[in-house]
Amino acid sequence: MKENEPCNRSDDKGHPRIGIYTGRGTSHSWLWFAEVFDRIGFFDLAFLTETELRGDALDRCDVLAMSGGDTFAIAEGLGPEGADKVKRFITHGGVYIGSCAGAYLPLHSSKEHLNLFNFVPAKIGNLTRTLPEARGLREKFCTAYGCAYVFHPVREAVRLTTNGFAPFKKAPSLDAPLYGGPPLIAGGSAQVLATYSGFTEKTVFLVDRKLASDTLLGKAAVIRQKIGQGYLHLYGPHFEHPRFTVANQLMTDAMLYDLRLDPVQIHETIASEEIISGEACRNLLKDIKREISNARIVAVGLETLPVQWTIGNKVYETAKIREFIEPVWRRIKPLEKLNRMRLLPGQAGRLLQVASETTALLREVKRDLKSGIDTLYKAKDLFERLNRTSTLFLEIYFRTKRMGNSGIQELRD
Amino acid sequence: MEYLASNKIAIVDLATRDIMEEELDDDLVLERIGGAGITKSLYDRFADEVPIVLGTGLLTGSLVPGSSLGVITAKSPSTGRVSHVPLSLDAGMELKYSGFDYIVIKGTSEKPVYLWIHDGILDLNDAEDLWGKDVWSATDHIRDLMGDDLIQVLGIGEAGEKGSDLAQICINYWQSGDRMGFGNLFGKKRLKLIAMRGMGLLEIAEPEEFVEKCGGLLSAVKSGGAANIRGIAAMAAAFGEEDIEGWLKPLTHKHMACFNTSVPTNTFVFLDEDPALLKETTVKEPGFLLTDIAPLLALKRLGLTAADACHVLKACAKFGIDGAAVAELSEKTGLTDPEAIKGSLPNLKGPASSSGDAVFSPWAAVGNQEKDAWMRRQAVAYIFGLHPLFALMAPELNEEKLLDISSLGTELELTQETLDEVIADITG
Amino acid sequence: MGLKIDALTCTACMACELACGYHRDDAFALLSSCIVPYRAREKKNYIGIILKEEDSLIAARPEGTEINRIGEEQDPEKEADASAKPMLLRESCDLCEDLDDGPLCIKFCPVNAISMA
Repeated sequence: MKENEPCNRSDDKGHPRIGIYTGRGTSHSWLWFAEVFDRIGFFDLAFLTETELRGDALDRCDVLAMSGGDTFAIAEGLGPEGADKVKRFITHGGVYIGSCAGAYLPLHSSKEHLNLFNFVPAKIGNLTRTLPEARGLREKFCTAYGCAYVFHPVREAVRLTTNGFAPFKKAPSLDAPLYGGPPLIAGGSAQVLATYSGFTEKTVFLVDRKLASDTLLGKAAVIRQKIGQGYLHLYGPHFEHPRFTVANQLMTDAMLYDLRLDPVQIHETIASEEIISGEACRNLLKDIKREISNARIVAVGLETLPVQWTIGNKVYETAKIREFIEPVWRRIKPLEKLNRMRLLPGQAGRLLQVASETTALLREVKRDLKSGIDTLYKAKDLFERLNRTSTLFLEIYFRTKRMGNSGIQELRD
Repeated sequence: MEYLASNKIAIVDLATRDIMEEELDDDLVLERIGGAGITKSLYDRFADEVPIVLGTGLLTGSLVPGSSLGVITAKSPSTGRVSHVPLSLDAGMELKYSGFDYIVIKGTSEKPVYLWIHDGILDLNDAEDLWGKDVWSATDHIRDLMGDDLIQVLGIGEAGEKGSDLAQICINYWQSGDRMGFGNLFGKKRLKLIAMRGMGLLEIAEPEEFVEKCGGLLSAVKSGGAANIRGIAAMAAAFGEEDIEGWLKPLTHKHMACFNTSVPTNTFVFLDEDPALLKETTVKEPGFLLTDIAPLLALKRLGLTAADACHVLKACAKFGIDGAAVAELSEKTGLTDPEAIKGSLPNLKGPASSSGDAVFSPWAAVGNQEKDAWMRRQAVAYIFGLHPLFALMAPELNEEKLLDISSLGTELELTQETLDEVIADITG
Repeated sequence: MGLKIDALTCTACMACELACGYHRDDAFALLSSCIVPYRAREKKNYIGIILKEEDSLIAARPEGTEINRIGEEQDPEKEADASAKPMLLRESCDLCEDLDDGPLCIKFCPVNAISMA
């Protein structure tokens, strides 16, 4: 798909409003959704916390994108209220895109919290009571699942074969990265859009190759399920990873294919927003750049420290810090060139406040690591603040891009 | 300036705390090329305001061999001349990648301050917590505060804070090529230090051809006379100075190069650790990096052992005072005991001839070289951003080749005529 | 086939890091490089070189070279060090396979501390 080219969809569908879940339990991969939608030209993005999702935020969305993270934490964070909202959203015509943890979430389960989200009659294909021998990456190899385990046979790029039917028409096979997502066993009316068909040069085996083949190959990688008037698209691999453009295209094609014909019309109230330009804009961007630069400098230095933190069921390496910072950093220059920003009252102040706290915390973590002090508690706080910093910034960024004729150069420049 | 530059000049007024930014104009580069050519031009523009001008050479931070140099241009309080002092090790490179090509610092701050330069942002921060710290403690403090051990620091110690004409701007923990008392200028302005760090990117006009030529230049240097020189002692001997390799060898741990400089002109000695130790030492401060040959030679002539001489230089670096001046004045006053020399630092007063009689720091005046040729070669080094000692050792990097590669990298037509004019101007 | 790095010969000039960064970005930059002289212990003058390969992280230390295979379990008894798991976001070394002359880091190392293994 070329930059700025209209998507392959019916023109009367309009631009969808896409809610991206960024709340409790998410990791950094939601940023990949933002990256892909930015590239495609879908700027009407809302970044939803668990509180917002439990509220009425989904009433104003056409799509809910749920990316990777800790499925149990996501489920617990959303709770029965959130589960109910998500189900209502889908049955009333919304499209749910679930990738990795977001794919696990609506599968049938008896486990506490997860059992609130039994929307799709499909099973996990990598569940076991007896853990196989891990060849490596022990911290990423499995997750406890009640009395059983979900184990991950491989990581990195795997080969998939599509079913050849709409909405996955454009590519008979493709590669996509797997980072703990499920092989699926579809049931009932679920449609299999793609299956795991092979491995690539980049595939990292966490178990014996034969076991990996037996566990994955032939199982569903992507399934589509209709509920009420809406659809769920569940992806084991991360189709939203920005480096896998064929996967990105299929994912957005599928989204548009099932998008309701009367997308939510958002009438953004200009009166409550401020548009800043000129010196005020330059000064604000300088302040933002200052904080992000300060954070980035520490983050780059931390990359050489052999530290990882287990937060909930997820393992975070120091390199993950930059996963939050770089998408913000890359977007400062386009805003500088535009020299115009659209903000809600108080938004700039909140962003600078959180960014400054993030930098301070990063420096503390660095200091503590050098002194041999345990940093797990601070790391948990750090990743929450990093999440919040990138969310607040991207809200401003996409709000600005929605001004239209914004003249912002594509990030690829 | 689109290529090989960050395209930014900052003008900082320490009195008003105003920071202004300008673009680095192509016309300025066409007229003055870079490095000391432009720092001198900026100095002249703000001369009434007693400026200190930091800059980088046109080729600093590139793959041209020896492209490590940053420059500080200011009026020396020791000599009264507008002079140029080299920023070597990784400081010149970091300045280039921190997002500014040139920085003019004028005015005097009411209270101690420091500059934090990062990714095109220049912050002027209070330095009350830093003032009074020795150079090492100040560098440790700022790296800890900002959370990164790769921050490059140009800082002063007590010598600069107390207004000594012999005060030196040190680089991180080490002595620099500042023989001009620029540390005193920092102190007078209540500027404790400049911290720099950046993840910048320098575009190249003709990247493939430029890098190909860089490879050619490196091959020429590698097969030239400087090819096998390793360390400060070998470098000095190559220039015809006394051979102190044997004297220093028992302490020698490793020879270190400045950024992208083919000849390692610095030597790290272990004073409190076995120099033969390969794994990381548990001693917090096991030794010292020797970066300046003249004070080492002078202290040897005073009869000090290598260990004592290095301890004295370490003390000089912490105090922020020119080691060459210390050695010279110690000799004049008959001080030969290392403890006595260290004890004399707070009260040491010039003048010292270590600042030389040229506009360029005599840090690179090693051996007996013909003065005019040396001056010209220093000018070329300071304009293009080449390590001044390396430039003397690598005649393969001649003016024609430097102009050619500069034009290739910047798409600007830089001529010998312009270079001659700039050299004439900066050498006075 | 990979790179062999002699940390004892290395002078920490960073030419390799810059050359690799150029290979990644077609410009002079250091952030994308897959070979990095580790300079963070300046006062101790302890310098190593970290290289990210497809399957492993090479830590060339003065006392010897360590190869940490990505995915393999680390020795829990071993003291954590700067090379155990860095640079996960950086591209791995491709030996400059698109260049006729081979790896740029080898070409630009002034002291021949890097060679083909």
